[in-house]
Amino acid sequence: MADEITPRRDPIKSSVGNVAAQRRRQHAITVAKERREAVVRTKRLCRVGVGGGGDDQLTYDDDGDGGDMMIDAEQSILEAQTCSAVQDLQLAMLFQGKGAMQKRVAALREVRRLLSRSEFPPIEAAIKAGAIPLLVQCLSFGSPEEQLLEAAWCMTNIAAGKPEETKELLPALPLLIAHLGEKSSLPVAEQCSWAVGNVAGEGEELRNILLSQGALPSLARMMLRNKGSTVRTAAWALSNLIKGPDPKAATELIRVDGVLEAILQHLKKADEELATEVAWVVVYLSALSHVATSMLVKSDLLQILVERLGMSNSLQLLIPVLRSIGNLVAGDAHVASTVLVIGQSITDSILPALIKCLESEHRVMKKEAAWVLSNIAAGSVEHKKLVYSSEAVPLLLRLLVTAPFDIRKEVAYVVGNLCVAPSEGSGRPKLIADHLVFLVSKGCLPGFIDLVRSADIEAAKLGLQFIELVLRGMPNGSGPKLVEKADGIDAMERFQFHENEELRCMATKLVDKYFGVDYGVDDE
Amino acid sequence: MAMEVTQVLLNAQSVDSTVRKHAEESLRQFQEQNLSVFLLSLSGELAGEDKPVDSRKLAGLILKNALDAKEQHRKYELVQRWLALDMGVKTQIKACLLQTLSSPVHDAHSTASQVIAKVAAIELPQKQWPELIGSLLSNIHQVPAHVKQATLETLGYLCEEVSPDVVDQDQVNKILTAVVQGMNANEVNNDVRLAATRALYNALGFSHANFSNDMERDYIMRVVCEATLCPDVKIRQAAFECLVSIASTYYEKLAPYIQEIFNITAKAVREDEEPVALQAIELWSSICDEEIDILEEYGGDFTADSDVPCYYFIKQALPALVPMLLETLLKQEEDQDLDEGAWNLAMAGGTCLGLVARTVGDDIVPLVMPFIEENITKPDWRQREAATYAFGSILEGPSPDKLTSIVNVALNFMLTALTNDPNSHVKDTTAWTLGRIFEFLHGSTVETPIITPANCQQIVTVLLQSMNDAPNVAEKACGALYFLVQGYEDIGSTSPITPFFQEIVKSLLHVTDREDAGESRLRTAAYETLNEVVRCSTDETASMVLQLVPIIMTKLHQTLEAEKLSSDGREKQNELQGLLCGCLQVITQKLGASEPAKYAFMQFADQIMNLFLRVFACRSATVHEEAMLAIGAVAHATGPDFAKYMPELYKYLEMGLQNFEEYQVCAVTVGVVGDICRALDDKVLPYCDGIMTQLLKDLSSNQLHRSVKPPIFSCFGDIALAIGENFEKYLMYAMPMLQSAAELSAHTSGADDEMIEYTNLLRNGILEAYSGIFQGFKNSPKTQLLIPYAPHILQFLDSIYMEKDMDDVVMKTAIGVLGDLADTLGSNAGSLIQQSLSCKDFLNECLSSDDHLIKESAEWAKMAITRAISV
Repeated sequence: MADEITPRRDPIKSSVGNVAAQRRRQHAITVAKERREAVVRTKRLCRVGVGGGGDDQLTYDDDGDGGDMMIDAEQSILEAQTCSAVQDLQLAMLFQGKGAMQKRVAALREVRRLLSRSEFPPIEAAIKAGAIPLLVQCLSFGSPEEQLLEAAWCMTNIAAGKPEETKELLPALPLLIAHLGEKSSLPVAEQCSWAVGNVAGEGEELRNILLSQGALPSLARMMLRNKGSTVRTAAWALSNLIKGPDPKAATELIRVDGVLEAILQHLKKADEELATEVAWVVVYLSALSHVATSMLVKSDLLQILVERLGMSNSLQLLIPVLRSIGNLVAGDAHVASTVLVIGQSITDSILPALIKCLESEHRVMKKEAAWVLSNIAAGSVEHKKLVYSSEAVPLLLRLLVTAPFDIRKEVAYVVGNLCVAPSEGSGRPKLIADHLVFLVSKGCLPGFIDLVRSADIEAAKLGLQFIELVLRGMPNGSGPKLVEKADGIDAMERFQFHENEELRCMATKLVDKYFGVDYGVDDE
Repeated sequence: MAMEVTQVLLNAQSVDSTVRKHAEESLRQFQEQNLSVFLLSLSGELAGEDKPVDSRKLAGLILKNALDAKEQHRKYELVQRWLALDMGVKTQIKACLLQTLSSPVHDAHSTASQVIAKVAAIELPQKQWPELIGSLLSNIHQVPAHVKQATLETLGYLCEEVSPDVVDQDQVNKILTAVVQGMNANEVNNDVRLAATRALYNALGFSHANFSNDMERDYIMRVVCEATLCPDVKIRQAAFECLVSIASTYYEKLAPYIQEIFNITAKAVREDEEPVALQAIELWSSICDEEIDILEEYGGDFTADSDVPCYYFIKQALPALVPMLLETLLKQEEDQDLDEGAWNLAMAGGTCLGLVARTVGDDIVPLVMPFIEENITKPDWRQREAATYAFGSILEGPSPDKLTSIVNVALNFMLTALTNDPNSHVKDTTAWTLGRIFEFLHGSTVETPIITPANCQQIVTVLLQSMNDAPNVAEKACGALYFLVQGYEDIGSTSPITPFFQEIVKSLLHVTDREDAGESRLRTAAYETLNEVVRCSTDETASMVLQLVPIIMTKLHQTLEAEKLSSDGREKQNELQGLLCGCLQVITQKLGASEPAKYAFMQFADQIMNLFLRVFACRSATVHEEAMLAIGAVAHATGPDFAKYMPELYKYLEMGLQNFEEYQVCAVTVGVVGDICRALDDKVLPYCDGIMTQLLKDLSSNQLHRSVKPPIFSCFGDIALAIGENFEKYLMYAMPMLQSAAELSAHTSGADDEMIEYTNLLRNGILEAYSGIFQGFKNSPKTQLLIPYAPHILQFLDSIYMEKDMDDVVMKTAIGVLGDLADTLGSNAGSLIQQSLSCKDFLNECLSSDDHLIKESAEWAKMAITRAISV
């Protein structure tokens, strides 16, 4: 402290050694931390057996594989307990004296708890013990609300089981559907819609049965209720119900009075969780039904979806929103010209939103966003110009080189579409020369030639088409040179003996026409 | 009571080593036998005007060292010892000290002033020696200048040593008045004025109230600015140091003075002597630091509330500031690149220019480009170097949009200059600039790549050629290559570097073997660059990375076989061993990450471990650290088979865990224990008694650097995860430790940012321990052993939630612990959780977090709790 200490900062021009060693150590610490977290996460996924806590959650029917730490001995204990619980329920149903209702509800609750436990609920044991007829009986009209709720809850969990177990619920379906109606209390209706949703998720056969029994109008009307969780569950169940492949259900849904308005309103105002489920409904509507698509396009749905896309950061929500937009743009040729009008604010805001998705870390987002863009780029010349002059282009060019194959392919469609004018009549597509020249100058050609080499016929064809554009359209006949330099001749020659005739002809024609005997003569 | 110590103090400074050692020994004995008399005698010696100056000075120095030490625990001991001394003795000592301040002998009063500050640092917080400041201030009006000078020095040291909150505002005001008066131009004695200026530097931290008062602040600023114009260079320098400190401490008060500050700094930079000019530049660098911090806090979002608004001083000063800085770049020293410690006008100017660029971004580019264009082709090397340096300095800050087109033009020029410029200084800066280009404008996040298939080869070729240039140029070329390959770290499965991989590795290895690789830190740069080349490589080159293993192993083997070396030679050898261990660490990590490569790598594992064990025989902290890190990587790659190395490795782990002095070694070893736990799982059990014993000792020690403690707690978690319910026997030791640490870290009120950051690290460590223990015990019949600890843990979670100062990492870990507790204890925890004050709010807050990791943990916790409560 005696001597003056002049504080000195590190010079900007410093040796790389110091920084590097520091970074390397930091990296080792980070790696260790990540591994520790991975160990903890794995342990957390292991479910507790019967001895530990119970599992009271409702089970969505999905195909996720959980851990399977359940030991056989524990499973058999669980099954024995289930069996006796069902027997207790049977006794309780027969009991007529004082407190009969409480007894029934208590017995039901016990069955429900057992069915909620562990990764592998003892559904089979419950069915074998004769639970279904008892549960159906519990659903009879006029039963107390708590009893209905517990019984529907049991069925929800049974419906989440294996397909043959779900089918056991057939006798219960009419009653479950009946309780969806306006006369039921909201919790009961919601619980029943949950069960119905799980059943619908099982497959086409059960979906058709549910539809024929009138599940759709009831669920559709639940979309108009004003309780968030009810609407969410109904929307989820509906998206399972209209999955198709028959478009009839989707068409029927959109024609239900008030549904379209409800969808619009929820997408506009609801929280992200609810909006997510509603967006999935829109995905299936727009993917399956032309009627639905044309009605949706006439509303301001697209505007709302684009706003959501721009604002939200929830991947769960963004995926169905993005896919819906794609379905709408691809499904209705008029969308581009009538909704995405150049100069309208929606058109200005859709591009940044899509660019955000293209920049996302998530593969599906990138792919879907590129797909939507390719549909926009397939529109009018003005639309092509809009995309071309946006910030999407550098991104697309990079993705075309660096992204995984499926994204590259979608991106190639966008880039390709930017270079050709909408075709009038048949014949070869007309070129947009300045787009082509610029994009080629930015190095997009190798990306397409890569596609030519791929095993995917569709991608290869796309690649060949683009090569054709370059050969034909680059000014001063510079096309052939460029293609040759990028190893394009080699890529095309691979098709000489290809089993796909169309590709073989395309490639051979191109090679003959542009790289025939005369090729290169002028250079001498 | 005091004893005569003059002769022994003089002997202690004798040239005759026997005499000196004897004297030192007697002093030591004296100190141990009777501390009070010893200290009293020393203070008497210091005060004795009839004593030789050498003995007085040493007496003061020993006194000072008896009051303070660098190591925290030693310092604590000394403070306790002083406080325990007899009041009467202390009063006498302090009287002697104050009396010495009036001594005309400079060394005596200057030493005394430092000792007084040390005593004050101990006593003022205890509310002792209340009359000190008063009596110092009364000295100020003494006529002899040297008394005034000594008093001002004392006040300065006092402000440096003592925390502002133990001095009340009234006394602060008086101190400041005295100091500022001493600085005033009316003060004729330069020594007094200098002492006052330096005292102000330390007193600035006390002056918050005064700087909030316009009149007082105006006055202080006027006096400081005047002092920057004083004929005495030392006073000018000290005054600028005050201004630098004011700029960072009171940034938000600068606006009225900024024009004046610019005028005086510009004059100083252009005309004054170097030490003063350097401080003038430092002032602008400090303002940049402040504005960068503020703008970072804004995060580009100007609605966010920051404590301090940005006044954009740099942006406003830009048109004048930049030319001033550019001028300094032309004032290079001939051989500054060869001297690692060099610091001069040109270096400071470029550093400041870099900060300005980071502060203002795009705006700097048009102001610097003409300078670059004008000078870059001039025959005088200084002009070419300055132009290049200016370019390199502004590459961080402006947007890629602004820079890319310029860089695309410049790149070719730079590559040519690096090959052809006759001047090595220019080449050095050129290579550095290329490195900066690659660091900031190349990589997966950059939109328009500046490195393309067309120029990649040329770039690599030029850089590799430069590896044969002078050591300083080669070192910078390594740096450029380092950032070049780093830009490809996320490239995927095919890297543009692959075709050059072999050639690059060969060149770098060649550089490490250069005779002159010890100069300019060239060898270090070459190895670290090699590491980065390996780290960023793809599977395409895995076989070539594998070929490196025996090469590096042979090099490491050779260092171990080396004959006896001089101490200088050994130091170099150690440095090399550290680099080679680091290199093996990176290679192991890389090859261990892919199955086929790992399989091939395993053939070397025995030999590598053998070498590492031999490395531990060398005494060098850095080498141990690097070897430990590498062993962690081997453990991860080897998995359960690592058990075979444990019998031999164990003692070195223990040594590492005991290494308190070189705490980095201890910290790294703790991390490696974690790696080993994950590799061995329950096979680590036989070693856990020993490891846990060491870890618990480490935690109880007040000698161990605090930064090691959070990782030790995390390590508890690693051990529990590995050995599961076998952790039972450590619970009775580990849990109380965790509990008391948790209590300490629950509250942070009044702590500064650094302390809050540390507290969060500590909390995270504690929470990771709890998570590991709960998950380790899950599904075991012994979970009930944990029930007694649950209430405290829930309380800990409550309190950190209430405190509202946890960071995201802690939040995620904490909500995870809540889930782990519910998951493992099940229904036993249900009611406790329901009773908890805030766990529901905490959970809800986490569920709605933007951070998806927090959300994920929270969703999991919610599920676990639902299950626990419903049973």
